[in-house]
Amino acid sequence: MEYLLNNLSAILKRTYEHLYIVSISLIISMILGIIIGILISRDKKIASIILKIISILFTIPSLSLFGILISILSPFKLGIGKFPAIIALIIYTLLPITRNTYTAIMSIDKGVIESAKGMGMNRGEIIRKIIFPLSIPLLMAGIRNSFVLGIGVGTISFLIGAGGLGYYIFEGIERSNNNMIFTGVVTISLLSIFINYSLYFIEHSLTPKGVRK
Amino acid sequence: MIEFINLSKKFKEKYAVKNLNLTFNDGEISVLIGPSGCGKTTTLKMINRLIEPTEGNIKINGKSIFDFDEISLRRSMGYVIQEIGLFPHYTIYKNISIVPELLKWEKEKIDKRVNELMDLINLPRTYLNRYPKELSGGEKQRIGVARALASDPEILLMDEPFGAIDPINRKSLQDFFVELQKTLKKTVIFVTHDILEAIKIGDRIGVMKDGEMIQFDKPQEILKRPKNKFVEELLGVNRNILRLTLSKVLDFVKKDFRIINKDEVEEIKNFNNFLYIIKNENNYDGFILKKDFEKGRECIREIVFINENENLLDTIILLLSKGEKIAVIKCIERGIMGYVELNDLIKVFEKEEYELSN
Repeated sequence: MEYLLNNLSAILKRTYEHLYIVSISLIISMILGIIIGILISRDKKIASIILKIISILFTIPSLSLFGILISILSPFKLGIGKFPAIIALIIYTLLPITRNTYTAIMSIDKGVIESAKGMGMNRGEIIRKIIFPLSIPLLMAGIRNSFVLGIGVGTISFLIGAGGLGYYIFEGIERSNNNMIFTGVVTISLLSIFINYSLYFIEHSLTPKGVRK
Repeated sequence: MIEFINLSKKFKEKYAVKNLNLTFNDGEISVLIGPSGCGKTTTLKMINRLIEPTEGNIKINGKSIFDFDEISLRRSMGYVIQEIGLFPHYTIYKNISIVPELLKWEKEKIDKRVNELMDLINLPRTYLNRYPKELSGGEKQRIGVARALASDPEILLMDEPFGAIDPINRKSLQDFFVELQKTLKKTVIFVTHDILEAIKIGDRIGVMKDGEMIQFDKPQEILKRPKNKFVEELLGVNRNILRLTLSKVLDFVKKDFRIINKDEVEEIKNFNNFLYIIKNENNYDGFILKKDFEKGRECIREIVFINENENLLDTIILLLSKGEKIAVIKCIERGIMGYVELNDLIKVFEKEEYELSN
């Protein structure tokens, strides 16, 4: 506890660094994931192929993925640091977002879309007034999962020189400093819990009343 | 008026709808019926261009549907489907006002119209703030009909609208829709696979098979003179019985009755009428026949009430199931209008059969 209080400003700096890497990757992965999700919702066959590829990427253990990225990116002198960490985080967070976007669109009642079309809504109106609001709950859940997942993987990315809260855990293990390990674990856990609940709150308030459980 | 001119639709190389030439009259319900895959839904969806015709044309009041842009064409017609398709994230109010909103009506005009429609479909205005999931299936479909009527379109397209509703609610929705049409006089194209429904609500029935129109005629004509074996089979073995649904009980009403008060039962001396209905304040206790009068109170029978629009078939079934021979016609506005006897109704059935065999 004392260690934690004495190093508060350093911890906050590393928390900021951690959140920075995770947020950048999450924003990119949201843009990619939502676009891919919308595009593959037009064709079930293509959707299952794309989702399979993304799932395979998702199952690669994070340490191996860093290894792979180092060997691919080293020739460009980008093998270590924040850049490969962000790439890895994008790869990991892409699956929950893409899959949830796709599932959200596919789970909208066909009758709702059909009657919207039949009543004379154009494509833009259908997306804005129906698909988007009805997809919000699942889409937000995907983003929430991704964010929490990203915080976890972001810890490991300390190993390739990306900084962040992983420092306290890995350095703590190295130096057999329990205070450091404790600090790292507590901060990361609190961060995850905080992010999870605030996003859950946003998700709930964005969910249209008529479709709330 | 909707006209089909050499209308065809091909999916890949196969005709889903083949060379239709028809005219749907204004203010009539035209029902399209046939087995699944016969092209009835495809035909319906070509009218609002949810499916584009491959060949031929559709004219609405003389104007080709290709002269409209498809969005404004669809906004000018009501559309009701089996899945109902209410928007789950919209209140009932917002659901009903979708088309007026798209047409950019003023707020007051929409308000007035929505309230008017709730009265029309006989649902309380308190429902307007609710969400679709809080309503029953039958209520949702009424809202679906109201939504389609919101901008008061001339044409209403209905694709098996009552198909997913349980039989009891389906019957009441059909009754409701027939009543509604009496005042609205819309030009309705109605797709179904239920022959009873078609006969009950259709002014005209079009029987389709493999994309072709086999017979397009009034229900009476189709029942009397099915064009070929296919139509006959569609109508089933009980074709004669089905014809009973076309006659209304009101044509067989007898008025030889008197309404008496409960305490008058013993006092009446002159039995002039065939039937006496016993009134108890605002309710009716039962009825008693002239021939049973001296036997006294134990001969008071429970009344089987029917409404004035009931058809013969439903009345006969009701009487048989209750083990009664007399049904009393009660109209909400005008009270008791008379009674019908089972024997009279069955005699008609024999006559109908006689006509058919000739």
